[in-house]
Amino acid sequence: MSIEEHTKIVEDLVKEFGEENIYNTKVPRAYRAFAHVKREKLRDIVRYLKEEHGFVHITTISGVDMRENYEVVYHLRSEGFSFSLKVPVPKDDPKVPSIVDILNGAVLYEREVNDLLGIFPEGHPDPKRLILAYDWPEGVHPLRKEWDIQTIREKVDGKRWGKDVE
Amino acid sequence: MSEREFVIPIGPQHPALKEPESFLFTVDGEVVVDVEPRIGYNHRGIEKAMESRNYIQNLYITERVCGICSNAHQTAYTGAVEEVGGIEIPERAKYIRVFMQELERIHSHLLWLGVAAHEIGFDTMFYYVWRDREVVMDLLEEVSGNRCNYAMATVGGVRRDLPRDKYPKWHKMLDKLAERTNYYIKVASTEKTILERAVGVGYLGKEDMIRLSGSGPNARSSGVPCDIRKLTPYLIYDEIPFEHIYVDNGDVLGQVLVRTLEVVEAVKICKWVLDNIPEGEIAVKFNPLQRLPEGEAVYLVEAQRGELIHYTISDGRNMPYRHKIRAPTLGNIPSLVERLKGGYIADIPITIAGIDPCFSCTDRMAFYDEGKDKTWTWTDVELSKYRKEWYSR
Amino acid sequence: MSILTWARTRSPWLIHFNAGACNACDIEVVAALTPRFDVERFGALIKGSPRHADVMVVSGSVPRKIRDRLKRIYEQMPTPKFVVAVGSCAISGGVFQDCYNVMEGVDKIIPVDAYIPGCPPKPEAILDGVVKLLMSAGY
Repeated sequence: MSIEEHTKIVEDLVKEFGEENIYNTKVPRAYRAFAHVKREKLRDIVRYLKEEHGFVHITTISGVDMRENYEVVYHLRSEGFSFSLKVPVPKDDPKVPSIVDILNGAVLYEREVNDLLGIFPEGHPDPKRLILAYDWPEGVHPLRKEWDIQTIREKVDGKRWGKDVE
Repeated sequence: MSEREFVIPIGPQHPALKEPESFLFTVDGEVVVDVEPRIGYNHRGIEKAMESRNYIQNLYITERVCGICSNAHQTAYTGAVEEVGGIEIPERAKYIRVFMQELERIHSHLLWLGVAAHEIGFDTMFYYVWRDREVVMDLLEEVSGNRCNYAMATVGGVRRDLPRDKYPKWHKMLDKLAERTNYYIKVASTEKTILERAVGVGYLGKEDMIRLSGSGPNARSSGVPCDIRKLTPYLIYDEIPFEHIYVDNGDVLGQVLVRTLEVVEAVKICKWVLDNIPEGEIAVKFNPLQRLPEGEAVYLVEAQRGELIHYTISDGRNMPYRHKIRAPTLGNIPSLVERLKGGYIADIPITIAGIDPCFSCTDRMAFYDEGKDKTWTWTDVELSKYRKEWYSR
Repeated sequence: MSILTWARTRSPWLIHFNAGACNACDIEVVAALTPRFDVERFGALIKGSPRHADVMVVSGSVPRKIRDRLKRIYEQMPTPKFVVAVGSCAISGGVFQDCYNVMEGVDKIIPVDAYIPGCPPKPEAILDGVVKLLMSAGY
């Protein structure tokens, strides 16, 4: 497939949902596209992409702490074309709707984003802790920019330690 | 859950599983009814550490995410950084990167074949396969200097060149590998003991595999054509003639066939690279203090175990703002859970080993009381008190 | 030397525990069993249960979740017991020294008798380390 065909898919999506729900679209080269998506329309857009354009595979879900808000990036793939949907999430309301019933493979990725950034997937069947230790304190989400290595160690172990402390 | 069902934890230290991982199996007699995977024993905090190191320091941490797929991680990392920075690498460097990646694929699949033979109890084949694997380890050591963690790739190219006078010797070693692998394909598809333990074990169909977003040889053994080298070619894979291997068995025998046939294809690719490599530079200069422009990039690579993604965001400094790595095994766990349901306890080690896992896990003993609908765990003190009461009756 | 020491040093039974490693050290430990390097000529066998083992071979930078399991397995081994730390991650955290989840070094959790450096150490280096441990125990 060529870059023209991929651009056409993105334009068809914008025409279907409107410019206020999908904005900042970019197609930097063949097989790659990025777009910002409003949080309320996420489930409809993912369902439309799955049924109309064959995006049945979810590669991963990344969480990013852009300083003024969070962004959750859904990387979908259809036969080589990787389309990344970025959902801005405000810092005082860290929640996203879960897409596990549309794309079953997303079940572990949403739990990981919840552990590391504290963004809760609403509607997830089993949103337990996935990779942090069982005695890790609540509320400490390591990938947020407010934590760095020494402040995490102070909070979890009670003291700073390491080669640059003494 | 009926009264006959109870819960068995397996892991993190278990003789059948080579890595720390834990599963909570709900069994009814000998049949597995439900599985809950518990992971996180290998979580070291790499993504946070990468945000405070520059792009050249991050090379050494990326290759140690996994010791068996280390070159795949380096290929993806350098590819993503070069795409953000708009850096073009020389042609000779692309050929050398493909050569290292295919050699690592051979080494990893032969390792898997030996471990799988060990899990079904066929230790003779384990020792034979690992003896033949030493051929490719010698080749890797001649090219790069180390048996694992080669550090061949860097941002802008590769660090070491392939000397032309060694090519005839390397061709002979690659031919020996292909001959031994063809022998193992013959053994695996005709030997009755292997077929008894591999056919029908851990079956998963094509629709379920697509629904659960599996990737790599795990998905290709169920008939899904998902090789990233064919779907979105990177480096020079669109010029190399090789087959897209997928079978529709869906069970452990399918995994064996897909991986051994991929070894034969990888040997062909390595020989093609040695015959067609162009002359030229091997790297473009890249300074550790050099800043990259703002931007982001997604890079997909066909690692030995599946589809690997590196997603990097740069904000104009010489360190990444955010670097996300998703290893292929995390994507294969939902399909592993489906494969285990309905099978026997004795087939658990080979089914787990069949997807070629590369992860870690742990567990406690847990009870489920049907009547009170309560789950609790026992501590050491309670267990020894129970033992004393039992024996004092 | 006493007959017990003679018997113990001529057939050390190993248990291998991966405490959060990247797997490179583990495949070199398993490769030490294979016909080319063959640790079994020293009488060493790899066993599955800690209750049958004399020597524990640990690799990996120790993440938080696996700390208690490591201590539990060490306590389940019968005395006299030895611990060998394989790889630079097990000695001091290795390349992961500044990560939030890593306890730097196995000797912060359990006592260690022998250190084998390398990333990963070759199987010949692992054999050399095991033989040196046996010599110091009275082989």
